[in-house]
Amino acid sequence: MATNLIKITWQTVLLWLVFRLGGYLVGALHLSLPGNVAGMLLMFALLTSGLVKPALIEAASGFLLKHFAFFFIPISVGLMSFGPLVRQSGLALLAILLVSALAGAAVTGVSVQMLQRRREP
Amino acid sequence: MKLLLFTLFVLLTLGTYLATRWLFLTYRNPLLNPVFLSTVAIIALLQATGLTLEDYRPAKDAMTFLLGPATVALALPLYHNRQVLKKYALPVLSGVAAGSLTTMAAALVGGRLLHLDDGVLLSLGPKSVTVPIAVEISRLTGGDASLTAAFVVATGMIGSIAGPLLLTLCRVQSPVARGLALGTVSHGQGTAVALLENETAGAMGGVAMAIAAVFTALVAPYYLPLFLR
Repeated sequence: MATNLIKITWQTVLLWLVFRLGGYLVGALHLSLPGNVAGMLLMFALLTSGLVKPALIEAASGFLLKHFAFFFIPISVGLMSFGPLVRQSGLALLAILLVSALAGAAVTGVSVQMLQRRREP
Repeated sequence: MKLLLFTLFVLLTLGTYLATRWLFLTYRNPLLNPVFLSTVAIIALLQATGLTLEDYRPAKDAMTFLLGPATVALALPLYHNRQVLKKYALPVLSGVAAGSLTTMAAALVGGRLLHLDDGVLLSLGPKSVTVPIAVEISRLTGGDASLTAAFVVATGMIGSIAGPLLLTLCRVQSPVARGLALGTVSHGQGTAVALLENETAGAMGGVAMAIAAVFTALVAPYYLPLFLR
């Protein structure tokens, strides 16, 4: 338990370093990409090239991804400051967000599944 | 006093998260979305006690500190699924691009039908991609950055609750397709739900989130104005 905690901690530091490096590269190269996504792609490149072995980040990645949803709770509480807008046109906005999200999800989900099946009948 | 409030907020957020996560995993119902239930509970408590978002902010900043490293960690399931990705490169790219174009078009057409003004429409445009890039796109096209950030979070919540229900209704069972669909319309929050379904879906959520972000950033400045008056 204690050794696992230590492992998760230093592996998280490693992930954090790659995250910062991603942010730095985006700034230096003027990419239109958020730093966290750049960090993810960078880590993927490190894994595929064999420079980073999967075991080196396995413990921390497993833990952070298991609780990925947690991070969006404090962020969502921020919606509180939009109370007046919600009272004024909340229903219209809710309808738009719902319909557009469902339309996009249906198009992606159905088309990908169709193309997948065509590849392996 | 500040420290006490900070500690209480962290414990409250952790507590509601663990309780709602347990509920979700026990009943496996998308309507019991842990982020949605916890957010509602925390906002209700803040309102009831007369506390404001400013009081909650220090705890929020501390708790979201690890979101960056967690996003980097998505590279691992992606790596485990690299063969799937290679095999379905074309369906993945075209599926995410089509979903991104559809969700933007639907939002702007819907907004015009409901007589929202152009500023709100432009803020709605990039709502399906992750916050840092959505905010940049919004600035670039003439939207309001903080309004866009709110739409992004709201979309994340709505899409990650209603998305899985609709996908099941449309008989989309493939974990690859489900993960991609959720990541395309609901970025990190969709990915979080996909991760709760299974590892492959979670990995694809991360892939979709990355592709949708880059694709939307590239096309939005030309695509969104087509839907304005």
